[in-house]
Amino acid sequence: MNHNPQSSDGKHDDDSALSDFLASLMDYTPTIPDELVEHYLSKSGFQSPDVRLIRLVAVATQKFVAEVASDALMHCKARQAAVVKDKRDKQQKDKRLILTMDDLSKSLREYGVNVKHQEYFADSPSTGIDPASREE
Amino acid sequence: MRMKKLKSRRKSNSLTHPQQEATNPGDFSFNITKVAVAQICKSVGFGRSQVRALNTLTLVATKYLETLARSATSFSGVANRAQPNLLDLTNALHDISLHVGFKGAATLYGDDCFLKSAVLEDLSGFVSSTDEIPFAKPIGRPKERETEGSKPSPGGNLQRGGHIPEWLPGFPDVSNNEQCNKRVNGETLWENSASVLRHETEEFQEKRDGSNGGKLSKERRRVKFWIKEGKRVDMNRCRGNNLFSQSTDEEAEAEVEHKKSKVKQTLVVYQRRRKKVQ
Repeated sequence: MNHNPQSSDGKHDDDSALSDFLASLMDYTPTIPDELVEHYLSKSGFQSPDVRLIRLVAVATQKFVAEVASDALMHCKARQAAVVKDKRDKQQKDKRLILTMDDLSKSLREYGVNVKHQEYFADSPSTGIDPASREE
Repeated sequence: MRMKKLKSRRKSNSLTHPQQEATNPGDFSFNITKVAVAQICKSVGFGRSQVRALNTLTLVATKYLETLARSATSFSGVANRAQPNLLDLTNALHDISLHVGFKGAATLYGDDCFLKSAVLEDLSGFVSSTDEIPFAKPIGRPKERETEGSKPSPGGNLQRGGHIPEWLPGFPDVSNNEQCNKRVNGETLWENSASVLRHETEEFQEKRDGSNGGKLSKERRRVKFWIKEGKRVDMNRCRGNNLFSQSTDEEAEAEVEHKKSKVKQTLVVYQRRRKKVQ
């Protein structure tokens, strides 16, 4: 941070919690490496000598991706729970959780990102359906 | 994590036109981001992924990063700063999280402390609860280009880069920063103010009481004037638009007498006209 929080007199919990969080950021290594984040930040005009801000951006992005992925996982599991008939099938499908465009578009919809396919007219109901979800 | 390809026709499309799928998947940075996103997906629980889905998620992640950076930069630019700080970043995070919503979103700027935000608390919770996922492969840092491009100038400042021509004058001396920071009326930067950092309330009261409550500081005389014959005449003995000069007493008396006679004439004229009408 550019301003010094220690100049404030009181030992406010908020300030101390915030400074603790920023200090803990230096210990935590985000999945997205610092150099990559710096590349994207400099591409957008964000220039800061403070590494903690870069780590904060990386952590925020990681949290966002993790949330989207976990929502997609919930959609995937919900669909499998509806389809499951035997216990054996369920165990087999648990090992093969696949991130599909369908689940991803549903979870991204809640975050304001629209990745739906354009709807179109087709000859038969099964045209264009993903072969993995086609039950035949 | 294994990639699962789609149908054969889509597979051939992806092989022949790789650059049309997402924003330049041939970019080095994009591929690195794809690896990082794949690691995150694996940590969440996915075993496999479609290629298109992974590309889409990577693209969304890069857009998110860039949006955060642009918002923070614009916030700092609005505040006359070149480098964004934590407050700009917090503002940007709030902006981007408003769609999903977070605790306290309705009363963002009404509280005393701005940094006590739910977004930052969520992030700290995420950091403390989630294990670290180190990146899969090391990335080489780009070489510093300044050392290669700088040429020794004959008498100029060696510290400024080679992009600045030598015939330009040097930068002003900013070593006297203490004078710059102090303002005349006790104004300080917003981020150092009490509303942001929850300083002592006494300090905040001082600032508010320091001003005169909206009144003018200097004592001023009352100015009256009335418009006569298309000319604005100041009754306080100044003629025309020159309100700031003040004539001497003798001249003022002469002017006042002159005006009195004029007033009498006008009054007389009006009375006569009224009589005629009647």
